[in-house]
Amino acid sequence: MITNVQEERLIVLSDMHLGSFFCQPQRALARFFEFACDGRWNICINGDGIDVIHTSLGNIVRETSQMLARIRQVMPAETTVYYTIGNHDIILEQYLHTWGTLRLVPFLNVQSGATRIRIEHGHLYDSFFMNHGALQEKMTRATTYLLKIYPPWYHWHRLPRYLKHRSTTLPIVGPFFKRRFEPDDGLRIPGQKPAFIRGADELSRRGFDVVIFGHTHQAGVYPLTTGARYMNTGSWFRDPHYVTIDRGVVELMPWSL
Amino acid sequence: MVTFHDERTYEDGEVIVSEGEAGAEMFIIQSGRVAVSKRTADGDLHLATLERGDFFGEMSLLESQPRNATVRAVGPTKLLAIRSGELLMKIRRDPTFAFELLQRMSGRIRLLDEEIARLSSLSGSRPQIKTLP
Repeated sequence: MITNVQEERLIVLSDMHLGSFFCQPQRALARFFEFACDGRWNICINGDGIDVIHTSLGNIVRETSQMLARIRQVMPAETTVYYTIGNHDIILEQYLHTWGTLRLVPFLNVQSGATRIRIEHGHLYDSFFMNHGALQEKMTRATTYLLKIYPPWYHWHRLPRYLKHRSTTLPIVGPFFKRRFEPDDGLRIPGQKPAFIRGADELSRRGFDVVIFGHTHQAGVYPLTTGARYMNTGSWFRDPHYVTIDRGVVELMPWSL
Repeated sequence: MVTFHDERTYEDGEVIVSEGEAGAEMFIIQSGRVAVSKRTADGDLHLATLERGDFFGEMSLLESQPRNATVRAVGPTKLLAIRSGELLMKIRRDPTFAFELLQRMSGRIRLLDEEIARLSSLSGSRPQIKTLP
């Protein structure tokens, strides 16, 4: 398995969750692949391209087949598409392997110009997923029903912000939620656990200039103590972002749905 | 949990580990390069140049055996030194490092297998394979 590659122009996206009842990025993704094709970018799908929880088998098969056909249709034959396995994709590894178009990897070490970049989905640094994987899956399945009843519930993460603004009327609950979910401790991208920054920091000590994760659905850039940068590409549920790696220059960019 | 990182800097030409000496650490190259060489009857034989992100010295760490090659810095070089206890912590904090370590070991076994096959075809003899208990 080749995990060390040299790429002058690579584009990274993650967490499209194809097949999900609540994430319909197909049209935006089709535009995105056309954009990648026009710019002659190689592509890295950084995990959770397919959703296996908020979905049905029919949805998975229909949407992934359409997407694969789209990739084959718009991409020149020489385009390389890497796929790093995420927590939602682990059980689909064999299925993805049979697609043939993708280069499946557990992570990717990219040399671009003088810049060394690690691309990894990031679920290994999620302590809740690693220690209570079965519970997390059950909770995620449970939210499927909540979301079916009331889809905006996915935006529950906005609750602390709302409560913060209401902190005068909610003096105890407001500050508690703010401390729990959006603390101003400078140790994280808002909404992310500090463990992701610690994981990225540890990785950067192996000589990486940039560490790119997905998984958290919170896009952002964060400077690490080693001088390296941590980037997260967010998700296609809302506010999608992607990373461009162009001859050693690495940038996080927004993409409109 | 206390996090400790033993980071060391070396000047150009400085010896990092010497062949035959005891060693209990492995090293990850954070910046710079190192040259790996081995003593032979004809002088020093250059084996490899390792760059940023590469690692070396893991055989001594894992087997408590003397170093089997000499490693020198090529230009200013910064390394992260890891001992056995720290290796487990490193793998806990950075699990893909274990994958890369195994990948390296697997690559070496493949090369050795090829070398055994090549040498045995040259000498015309069948190699004696020793199996581990």
